Amino acid sequence: MNGFELNTTIANLRDLRASDLTDYDGVYLGDIYCRLYESNFLEQLDDLKEGLHILHDQGKRAYVATYAAPRNDFLPKVRKMLEASVAAGAEAVEIHNLGILRIAHEEFPELPVHVGGFANIYTAAGAEVLRGFGAVRFTPNYELSLDEIHEITTACGVPLELLLHGKMPLGVSDYCFLLDYEEKWRVKCPDLCQKELFLKQGDWAMKSLGKGILSGKDVCMLEHLPRLLAEGHRHFRIEAVSESPEYRREVAAVYHAALERAIAGGGDVDEGSWETLRRHARIGLCNGFYFGKSGMDYQGLRPEALGSLPTISRAES
Amino acid sequence: MVELLAPAGNLPMVEGAVANGADAVYVGPRGWSRRRDRYEMSDEDVRNAIGIAHAGGAKLRVAFNTNMQSHEIAPMLEKMGRFVSWGVDGAIMTDIGAIAEVHRRFPHLTIHASIGANILNNEDVRFYRSIGVSQVVADTKLTLRELASRKEQIDVGIEILIHANKCYTYLGKCWMSPYHRLERTTDSFGKDLFKGSPNRGGLDYRVCMESWELYSGEEKWENSVALKNDAFFLLEDIPHLIDLKVECLKVQGREYPVPLVERMVRFYRNLIDACLASPRDEVFDLSPWRSRLASIQMERDTARSDGTRQLLMEARQPLPAI
Repeated sequence: MNGFELNTTIANLRDLRASDLTDYDGVYLGDIYCRLYESNFLEQLDDLKEGLHILHDQGKRAYVATYAAPRNDFLPKVRKMLEASVAAGAEAVEIHNLGILRIAHEEFPELPVHVGGFANIYTAAGAEVLRGFGAVRFTPNYELSLDEIHEITTACGVPLELLLHGKMPLGVSDYCFLLDYEEKWRVKCPDLCQKELFLKQGDWAMKSLGKGILSGKDVCMLEHLPRLLAEGHRHFRIEAVSESPEYRREVAAVYHAALERAIAGGGDVDEGSWETLRRHARIGLCNGFYFGKSGMDYQGLRPEALGSLPTISRAES
Repeated sequence: MVELLAPAGNLPMVEGAVANGADAVYVGPRGWSRRRDRYEMSDEDVRNAIGIAHAGGAKLRVAFNTNMQSHEIAPMLEKMGRFVSWGVDGAIMTDIGAIAEVHRRFPHLTIHASIGANILNNEDVRFYRSIGVSQVVADTKLTLRELASRKEQIDVGIEILIHANKCYTYLGKCWMSPYHRLERTTDSFGKDLFKGSPNRGGLDYRVCMESWELYSGEEKWENSVALKNDAFFLLEDIPHLIDLKVECLKVQGREYPVPLVERMVRFYRNLIDACLASPRDEVFDLSPWRSRLASIQMERDTARSDGTRQLLMEARQPLPAI
């Protein structure tokens, strides 16, 4: 037992098998943006059961994600997916949609619920409402600052899970603009969103993941771990659903070691760790909204974290 | 009978909307609704708006549809208490914690779940019903079939945006704008305006409407990608929506000039009345309405694209030094 939980997201069996999970304590299975995502655990229920078994065999906590924006026609499959998750012994399900929360609470009350970032928990009062629907852990909306997050923890004492590193979700659509280019690029769905695609304009950049839009920069909280721990946070996510197995492994190794050092009272980070994070961040690093600023800003003590070491692409890594 | 709900960003717009046939008008108290503060109102203006609406036989709803901060719930309840004492007819809200608190404190106040609540499926509706919501705004991406299913299965009022914008992302599930620029400013009452974050009540810089270049790694694949974002007027669906017995047809546009809002309200008033008066066994002929709408649409499109250009320029401005 580390005294903390470091987890991540993996969308399909291929990526799960290719990933070295040594430095993770738990994994959320499934892509929350699109039903057509390649071999999405949330649609391939035999794969989901196998994924849960693989995680359990490795001694990891096995969680299942659910869709960020489900319409009526998603719900029959969601019910089957929840049933499969219970049967295969998932430790919890992550829920972003309040309709699915209601289904889980009424039909699968034995399944612990983690509330995801798209559920729009902005207030302690909101967390209290969802606690009444069985939620046991919350990822607050990504727009919240650490001060606002602290208000929630002090007001209702619920365990929160925070994005520690990686591409921050920025939005979800019902429409995939990449489909407009299938013929021109001669790449079809679902291969399209396996490309590393960025929308850019000047110094603005966002990563496209089909129906999901993510931050171009990687949120990085490496130098702020002592504060996060001091404020009582123990559950952390490395958001790597659209990243390579190397990203998943190397970034986790950096944070696992840094969290252990921080818990032991040391806050220093070695230069090699910074270099690893910079190499994997094609567009650069940011702090998201944690310091109450524009999400793409970096507010840390180490401006060199924004340095221009060469980055590596998913294809090269 | 279906209600026509109109926007008002100032008192002349309240007067104009009521005079042109709105059954209800919504306004936003400054800092607490999904619009920039110049299209919101002081408490005193909200009080006057209630008076104007009621004098014209219309209802007045107040939009508290931001995702607020934990410590803002208490001042929100205080403000809501004032509006309730002045006779406001309903509240439009988003934040589930705030909804639950308002329902507990003012159990007789009608609560409408805002478009920002992004209610997508029937189970979502049941969730919001359970915390005190009685009417929900339908997401602009929903189909008539989904709305019909909602109407059949659940005892809930349905509100349809008949003039609005269909964003690329689901509304309420997008923070692209503050990712690029968030300016923290507080007004003279200490309310954080979250300029750049529409979910938190500030203006939306509409960064999604930028002309984006698309890169795969370092290689540029496209020079100009547009994320689909359509402003729309519903026309063809209106007879079906009336047949479906939706409770409310809502026009958006607190930021538009008063005469344009008056024309929009008058147009829909006449259209709804004509639909209701037409024999039920005949197909309603929309052809004369199409050309009348076209000129309103042209005026609205110009106002909207001017606004978008301005917002994208503002989004590139450096933040003021603290």
